[in-house]
Amino acid sequence: MRLYVDSTKCSGCNACRVACSLNLFSENNPKKSALIIEPHFPAPGFYTVKVCTQCGDCAKVCPTDAIKQDAQGAYYVDFDECNLCEACVPECPEGVMFVRAELANTAWKCNLCGDCVSVCGTSALWIAEIETVTA
Amino acid sequence: MTATIRLGASLKNLLGSQAEFIVEPGHKVRETLLLLGIKPELVAMVSVNDEMKDKDYIIQEGDALRLMAVIGGG
Amino acid sequence: MNGYAGRILRVNLTTGAITKEPTPPELARDFIGGRGFGIYLLLKEVPKGADPLGPQNKIFISSGPISGMMIPGGGKCDWTTKAPLTGGYASASMGGHFTAEMRYAGLDSIILEGISPKPVYLFIDNDKIELRDASDLWGKNTFMVEKQFKEKLGEEYQIAVIGPGGENLVPYACVNHDYGRQAGRGGVGAVMGSKKLKAIILHGTKSIPVADMTAYRKAGMALYKACKDAEGLKDWSRYGTTIVVSWCDEVGALPTRNFSAGSFENGKNLYAPVMREKIVITDKGCFGCPSPCGKYSRMKKYNSNVEGPEYETIGLCGSNLGIDDIESVAQANLLCDDLGIDTISAGNSIGWAMECYQKGIFTKKDTDGLDLTFGNVEAVFTLIEKIARREGFGALLSEGVKRASKKVGQGSEKFAIHVKGMEQSAYATHNATAMLLAYMTCDVGAHHNRAWAITYDLQVGRELVVPEKVARVIWLQNFRPMFDVIGGCRLQWVELSIDRELYVPALEAITGIHRSWEDLEKVGERIWNLTRLYWARENEDFGRVWDLPAPRFYEDAPTSGATKGQITKIEDVNLLLDMYYEQRGWTTDGLPKPETIESLGLKAVVA
Repeated sequence: MRLYVDSTKCSGCNACRVACSLNLFSENNPKKSALIIEPHFPAPGFYTVKVCTQCGDCAKVCPTDAIKQDAQGAYYVDFDECNLCEACVPECPEGVMFVRAELANTAWKCNLCGDCVSVCGTSALWIAEIETVTA
Repeated sequence: MTATIRLGASLKNLLGSQAEFIVEPGHKVRETLLLLGIKPELVAMVSVNDEMKDKDYIIQEGDALRLMAVIGGG
Repeated sequence: MNGYAGRILRVNLTTGAITKEPTPPELARDFIGGRGFGIYLLLKEVPKGADPLGPQNKIFISSGPISGMMIPGGGKCDWTTKAPLTGGYASASMGGHFTAEMRYAGLDSIILEGISPKPVYLFIDNDKIELRDASDLWGKNTFMVEKQFKEKLGEEYQIAVIGPGGENLVPYACVNHDYGRQAGRGGVGAVMGSKKLKAIILHGTKSIPVADMTAYRKAGMALYKACKDAEGLKDWSRYGTTIVVSWCDEVGALPTRNFSAGSFENGKNLYAPVMREKIVITDKGCFGCPSPCGKYSRMKKYNSNVEGPEYETIGLCGSNLGIDDIESVAQANLLCDDLGIDTISAGNSIGWAMECYQKGIFTKKDTDGLDLTFGNVEAVFTLIEKIARREGFGALLSEGVKRASKKVGQGSEKFAIHVKGMEQSAYATHNATAMLLAYMTCDVGAHHNRAWAITYDLQVGRELVVPEKVARVIWLQNFRPMFDVIGGCRLQWVELSIDRELYVPALEAITGIHRSWEDLEKVGERIWNLTRLYWARENEDFGRVWDLPAPRFYEDAPTSGATKGQITKIEDVNLLLDMYYEQRGWTTDGLPKPETIESLGLKAVVA
């Protein structure tokens, strides 16, 4: 399972990011969230959203094995194991592996909690099976 | 040979009525509303199969209508 | 303090002193936030008789307990000041992302006082707060300035900026933010311009403490679920406030040719589905909003983009000016936004000018050669520019219709559509007595934000003048602005009809204080009486005569449209006021009685 987004439906409200920060850190601080909303204004005039695709590339390079998989197979960061080495950050194809030392002493990423989907009023976000591309 | 009309919460509360009506196609929205005892001018929006239409639209078989009143305004 | 950022920022633009003070717990307890903070501080800190554009006036920008939270609509801040447009109370509600960022920067309110010797902008990045030179920004349009800062600093930074309108002290200049949200009415932008403050740049990374994290998340989720389950969500999000253009046209509420009628024969071209198809590209919303009302549009004809037009601008810059091309209305919207003037007051003022031209009160000699026939799009574009720059004929219109019609005379005061000097917003009220009363008694002037009652008028009987209509308007005035007080938007309740009880556990979980809607409406009633007392304090002759509507609505029945031949009687106008004052506990001249002030616990506040 993974998170999907249809950016054309995003209104830029950021409710998803607040919900995310509350889930990851029990804090009301959308800058500590695991998805990105990029505004493109005043032109061309839309938002693009980046979400974790559960590709696992981050986990492959983590030297402390801090990036683990839960019972559902979703990748998440074990905050106690992360040493902020940042090896994972450039590996993420979507740019949604986060290290901001001034905000947290651990890297963080999406753990597929689904709270973002619950608060998205335009149904831009949803969780579904990972679609495998056949050659 | 029917169509359905669903009332938005605000209109339903305003009228104190049921939320959904089954109606006969072939009439204008305006006439159908009068038949249901709904004053057409209280209905601010008519959407037919997710598209906004005016009250002169003639209801077709299988149409799903949604009606809204504006209680709160702007 | 749970639910609050905990600090009020005070910026003295005269001396350059920047200080922070703790948010007083009693202020939070009694006035909650938003416009509650605004009126308390306005009464306390701006001396009686202050010149709105002088050094004694202040701007109070306030967020509220739900701002920046996981609560639908938690995206509004209140801008309170003494209004250049009216000389009374101004309170403008600004959406977007500014209020959330205020809270993340650790600020409940920002107080702007004094006057800077040179153009500056206020830079706030967590605890790094500075006034910086804005001499190379002065004169620039709002979009350009916002874009410049976003490109330099990044999209996390939120910008509030005035345009030439505010710099030139146009009494209905606004403050712009997020390419399409405004602190719109009453001239807040002019006050900011008088202080030589071009912009506020805002960024913060702090969290907001809440009383009960688990209960807050649960209550927030319940609110989002209610919004997502609401029957009208899809339609509302698709069309925003433009959804009512067709209906207002049908019931005679769409202002047409300077409010001479309530239906527009070419109105169809302005209806929501036409607009959606022709120009809308993105549904754009404010912070935390599940039902984005903003319609970001692309006008191919003009090679431009704008957030809008929304219902008000379609009314005042479209049908009110005899214009039926939605792309042109969008372009007029853009010009106003970019130059930083309120589309409502601008459209209303231009409509008045067009009627003057139609009647021969103005000729091309007066109008700098502009042909102000209703429907002349190019003239409107030129006029918007002249108004913002207060040049030529635009200078007269920039003063607003009350002052302009007083100067011009020749009967033009009869069709100056305003109350208390604020141009009426986009509902024609020839025959809708509750809505007329709403406009007459709104506490910033003729604006629809406090009470909206047109459907109620149609339900009860539009011409009826009965106590229950008055009671309805009063209830709406005590209730609706509470969304502004808690730092949020009323449209989720207003448009989606979600159960307002869902907000109660959310507020309690955030602040730790239980407040029922009865409690909140009591606070609303107290604020209402304070804003009334402010008007009375600042205007010697304040009273009943200030509540009278434009004569058009009791003298000039429309000759076409849904309300053809319908008009309110002046006797009913006075009866409405009699009933309203009685139900409010005010004197027959419309001033809060001493016992009313006492019973609301306001004696100390107004001492």
